[in-house]
Amino acid sequence: MSTIIALAKKDLQLLVRDKVGFFFTFFFPLVYAVFFGMIFAGQGRGGSAMQIVVVDEDATDGSKAFVRQLDESAELAVQTATREEATGLVRRGKKVGYIVLPAGFGKSRERVFGGEPVKIEMGLDPSRAAEAGLLQGVLTKYMYQGMQDAFTNPTAMRKQLAASLTEVQTSADMDPAWRTTLQWFLPMMDRFFAEIPMTGGGAGRGWQTFEIVATDVQVQRRGPNNPYEITFPQGIIWGVMGCAAAFGISLVVERSRGTLVRLRIAPIGWTDILAGKSLACLGTTSAVPAMLLLFGILVFGIRPDSWLLLILAVVATSVCFVGIMMILSVAGRTEQSAGGIGWAFLTVMAMLGGGMIPLFFMPPWMQTVSHVSPVKWSILALEGALWRNFSFSEMALPCTVLIAVGLTGFALGTRLFRWTEEG
Amino acid sequence: MLTLTNVRKAFGSLVAVDDLTLSIRRGEVFGLLGPNGAGKTTTVNMAVGLLRPDQGTVEIEGAGSPDRPGVRAKIGVAPQALALYDELTGEENLAFFGKLQGLKGRDLTDRVRWGLEFVGLFERRRDRAKVYSGGMKRRLNIAVALVHDPPLLLLDEPTVGVDPQSRNSIFEKIAALREKGHTVVYTTHYMEEAQRLCDRVGIIDRGKLLALDTVQGLIAAHGGKSLLIVERGGGEERVETDDPLRELNALQSNGALRGFRLERPDLERVFLRLTGRELRDV
Repeated sequence: MSTIIALAKKDLQLLVRDKVGFFFTFFFPLVYAVFFGMIFAGQGRGGSAMQIVVVDEDATDGSKAFVRQLDESAELAVQTATREEATGLVRRGKKVGYIVLPAGFGKSRERVFGGEPVKIEMGLDPSRAAEAGLLQGVLTKYMYQGMQDAFTNPTAMRKQLAASLTEVQTSADMDPAWRTTLQWFLPMMDRFFAEIPMTGGGAGRGWQTFEIVATDVQVQRRGPNNPYEITFPQGIIWGVMGCAAAFGISLVVERSRGTLVRLRIAPIGWTDILAGKSLACLGTTSAVPAMLLLFGILVFGIRPDSWLLLILAVVATSVCFVGIMMILSVAGRTEQSAGGIGWAFLTVMAMLGGGMIPLFFMPPWMQTVSHVSPVKWSILALEGALWRNFSFSEMALPCTVLIAVGLTGFALGTRLFRWTEEG
Repeated sequence: MLTLTNVRKAFGSLVAVDDLTLSIRRGEVFGLLGPNGAGKTTTVNMAVGLLRPDQGTVEIEGAGSPDRPGVRAKIGVAPQALALYDELTGEENLAFFGKLQGLKGRDLTDRVRWGLEFVGLFERRRDRAKVYSGGMKRRLNIAVALVHDPPLLLLDEPTVGVDPQSRNSIFEKIAALREKGHTVVYTTHYMEEAQRLCDRVGIIDRGKLLALDTVQGLIAAHGGKSLLIVERGGGEERVETDDPLRELNALQSNGALRGFRLERPDLERVFLRLTGRELRDV
């Protein structure tokens, strides 16, 4: 065992003294995670809310309250502007669309029974049809919410009914049949609201046809606390890929620079040489995630759901990439070819597995293809422990895949390495 | 100490070593002399277990085949290609390879210090190997081979690319090792080195051992007579002779000489006579 430790210590010394290798192993992943985390964090609420412009041509208390209501909603991020500015913003692709609240909007919104319907004009970017549809739905929701609020407040409702009745009686151009009907219906509604039992402050339960009770499903599967919980697993993957590439090449370097001959002449076996290399790689591929996670926890507020599962995910990822390192070590005969082949393989794995672009941005077929990449399973395992709130059974699949890839790679790499060396 | 019996090694159609039989005696400095590509390094690689012979056997006295890791602990090797970690210091290189040989604690510290002092690198022990000169790296390469105090030392072309000062230093170290009782196998294509250092020399060419004896024995058997070259007014005259002094007197009695020189038979001449080619031409 002391021989294996000596071999591993030597490899770690060499890694630390190779400034470029050390940077790409330890600091590049951190830079990656922080950089992209800051970009995503910089988008703030706008990152998920739809960016729209509101042109308030009414400028009454009612219209301003509606604009405020939209801006405070989770679905929309609102900017107010003139019609010209709004058109320009949408045309340049800065906003999804604009809505115009015409003069009389506020008064019309208060009027439940009577008058002409208010017309809200929408200007939309035709290339963002899905978001436009969503915007229509959101607007409808908040318009009807105003009506629902009125129905649930008998005092306010009776005030509106009185105003509507006066308007009906004084209107000069109303259809007589419609006028007769309303003159019968509105007083009856007023009596109805007058008889509803009042509760505190003059506002009662009112008339409510249904009530939606929202349950926070994030208790079972919450989203990430912040963007760093997405970017740090990706940074970790780049770190362990760097380790696998560095140690894979190091075996080729030992061969090309003659030190492998000395190792083979020494009174140790093949298994010692390969175990030493693997131990160093395992140590580094564990240290990189540990360092990154510590940094993420202390500085960027990452809060793992489960420490135990996080350790399991890190160990499984390390084992997987040690196996990949063994394969890479026999991939080329020269340092250049080994490096080229290694990084080409790892980059493709990262592309497929969500190491560059998060998987949820990818089309469905690509997400299916990503199953072949160990990077996908590593990120899934790390996210499972960080914010996906995986159970042990949910964590079993990615970790089993990772460990299986690692052991297969180790066995295959060892066999190929011996075959290569002994001819 | 080391016996190779009827060993053969081929790489595809190229036969690198062909039916070679050698027996290296304990405590001697044995030279394996031959041009580049003669099969010296392949022989060394088989002797230390790096290559398996296609046929024949290799045995370390009292231990067995060097295929077994435990047997290899009795051997120290300085490969022809420098085998050092450039990013480690001289001291770290020695300590690392010492640990691989099973040294630890005080033994390791003492042997590392001894190795550095033996090759004259103690003052530079904390410098990384990458800043060493070619000669210093060669000496460190030898120190690594010696760190575990092996009874058998194989030095494969240890003076290639070395300045004259470092070369002399290496010769002195080899002489000191012989004094301590180490067995040394020394491969070279420099005839002068074999002649100066070795108790016995094996001449190898194209994978075959052509002759094996002491330097004097080889010269006596294969070197031929001394060559006396005299200069007269009309030019040079070359005479082969067993008794140069008597021959010189005889030539002078036939007329005044303007000058003369004597070429005694050496290993170069032995190689030429055995192969029809000169060592340095190959």
